[in-house]
Amino acid sequence: MILENSLDLFRTSTFRIAGISGGVFALGVLALFAFVYWQTANQETLTVDRFIEHQVQGFVVSRPDELIDDVALGNSTIERRIVYAALFDGKLRPLAGNLPALPAHFPIDGLAHAAVIGNHRPVRAAAATLPDGRVVFIAREVGEVRELERIVRRALLLGVIPAIFLALAAGAWLSGRELRRVRRVHQAAARILQGKLRERLPVHGSADDVDRLALAVNRMLDEIERLLEEIRGIGDAIAHDLRTPLTRVRARLERGREANRSRAELEAAIDSAVAGLDQTLGIITALLRITAIEEGGRRAAFRAFDLARIVRDVAELYEPIAENAGIALAVGAAGARALNGDRDLLVEAIANVLDNAIKFAPRGSTIDLAVIEGAGGPTVRVRDRGPGIPPGERQSVLKRFYRADKSRHLPGSGLGLGVVSAVMNLHRFEIAIGDADPGCVVDLICVPRPADPARD
Amino acid sequence: MQNPTPSPGAKILLIEDDGETRAEIRGALLERGYEVADEATGTGGLAAARRGGFDLLIVDRMLPELDGLAVIETLRAEDVRTPVLVLSALGAVDDRIRGLKAGGDDYLTKPFALGELTARIEALLRRPVETRATVLRVGPLTLDLIDRVARRGEREIELLPREFKLLEYLMRRPDRVVTRDMLLEDVWNYRFLPQTNLVDVHIGKLRRKVDGPGEATLIRGVRGAGFMIVSASEDARPPLGAKA
Repeated sequence: MILENSLDLFRTSTFRIAGISGGVFALGVLALFAFVYWQTANQETLTVDRFIEHQVQGFVVSRPDELIDDVALGNSTIERRIVYAALFDGKLRPLAGNLPALPAHFPIDGLAHAAVIGNHRPVRAAAATLPDGRVVFIAREVGEVRELERIVRRALLLGVIPAIFLALAAGAWLSGRELRRVRRVHQAAARILQGKLRERLPVHGSADDVDRLALAVNRMLDEIERLLEEIRGIGDAIAHDLRTPLTRVRARLERGREANRSRAELEAAIDSAVAGLDQTLGIITALLRITAIEEGGRRAAFRAFDLARIVRDVAELYEPIAENAGIALAVGAAGARALNGDRDLLVEAIANVLDNAIKFAPRGSTIDLAVIEGAGGPTVRVRDRGPGIPPGERQSVLKRFYRADKSRHLPGSGLGLGVVSAVMNLHRFEIAIGDADPGCVVDLICVPRPADPARD
Repeated sequence: MQNPTPSPGAKILLIEDDGETRAEIRGALLERGYEVADEATGTGGLAAARRGGFDLLIVDRMLPELDGLAVIETLRAEDVRTPVLVLSALGAVDDRIRGLKAGGDDYLTKPFALGELTARIEALLRRPVETRATVLRVGPLTLDLIDRVARRGEREIELLPREFKLLEYLMRRPDRVVTRDMLLEDVWNYRFLPQTNLVDVHIGKLRRKVDGPGEATLIRGVRGAGFMIVSASEDARPPLGAKA
């Protein structure tokens, strides 16, 4: 577990970033040091070269013998770092100084060259021919350059290596912190998975990447919770509305099964049971339909159509039904009124509102169905002279399954206005329910409200 | 009341994974005089359909091994033209469109009444409906599609445009059951389920005009299924709504 945890630490992106930037930093510093070292060493060598070339030239015109003596005696008066000085005759035989022979192939041209003498000590040296034919040679050690090398190496050891370790340590610390946060998020997610839907991911308050992600997930969880609540509510409503017809079906079948029933009575019992089952299936179908409409995928199928025409079509479809119920249908939808949307769904919505109105309107009354021109666009208005909907129930009737209590005896799934509401929402249209005294006015306001980015 | 089966002996292949549903549908089809073969999986169904010899395929939308739509698409790609009725528990409009696009000829959402199923099977088996005739005749009824005149014997029947369309639809399918859903879809072009028995009211109005007082009933209700216009002599048939 510990091993796994430490492996986790090295696998975090924070640690990787720290490692990479530490490595790049170290390489940069190395290159910088190398450049400085190379430049300085070059400069030093150049200074040494100029000095010994100058000295050799000086000897050519002055007194080399004294110098040789000084060097041989170990008390150079010229320069402490002149470690070798020698005078040779024309045939390069030693005359004086502390060097028995010139290094092999050393050019006698008065210019500085690198040379290795005796105990392999690297030196810069120059040799020149005096006017009398003798040859003077001096060599100077290059201690400064080696000193420089040592300084650079120490600086690297003392500076860069700790810096790399520091970067790695900082990376480990940061990623450890990050890892702990991620672990807390994991734990919260695990609790949510276990069904604790009220749980939320921890938010740090720093508005960084992890925070923003956590906030997004939390918003998602809010929405999921809201939807689950809604489904739970629907579940209760389904249970309530399905239980009634199912109980009735059960009772009819039970009674039908009792002895001494004629075949006709049995058939009637079965028919009535089938009708009850059809009603429950109708409720389920309507519910699925609302869900399908609310999914909203149908916006892609929006087209322009003539609203006035579909209002006339719906009126024609319902004319005989109204007539059977002894209700007059007054239609005001002449001409054409173009609208963009899902024609089939709007037909369904208008039909449902009209269906509802016919169901509640008293015999002998009139229902007005009209397309009226509102402020921002057309409105389909359905006005009946029925009992109306009390203000307190107007929001509820638009929900799935709601039926005003006094209408429970009427046939239907109770989902008609729920479908209307779903269709209007899909189009971002408004629905308004008002009083007509007597009766009820339902306005389908076909003006899309501006898109709400939080919901779509 | 026994539904008439004007296509006796038609061979139907039923591909449905739920055993109980399969047995129910099979039983209902056998009772109505069809020959039925059935398969429980997509691959089995596809193999059976490839062997051929069927007049109609009934394919469930969701099948084990191979999806129902995939079965239909494969058959259509292999140029098998047998009519297909798709059964599905998915009732959304888009699913229906997808089923028809895959090559299905009709789409029926579960749960359905057996009457609806057999009516649609008949409609598929007896395709295509004759469309070139300009005068339709069923028993004493004539419908002149050009002059837009309906007559029963010598009596002219006054019809509203929608009633004319409804009568035309029925007369193109004499002695065959048409369901409420079929009428809503084909005559009114609506794909929603009305809260009220809209179709019954419209048919009722039409029937009062077509079947006058003292005249035999031509437009009949078929219990658990829909409606039918009959061509044969009416006296031999039981009156509307009576049980066999």
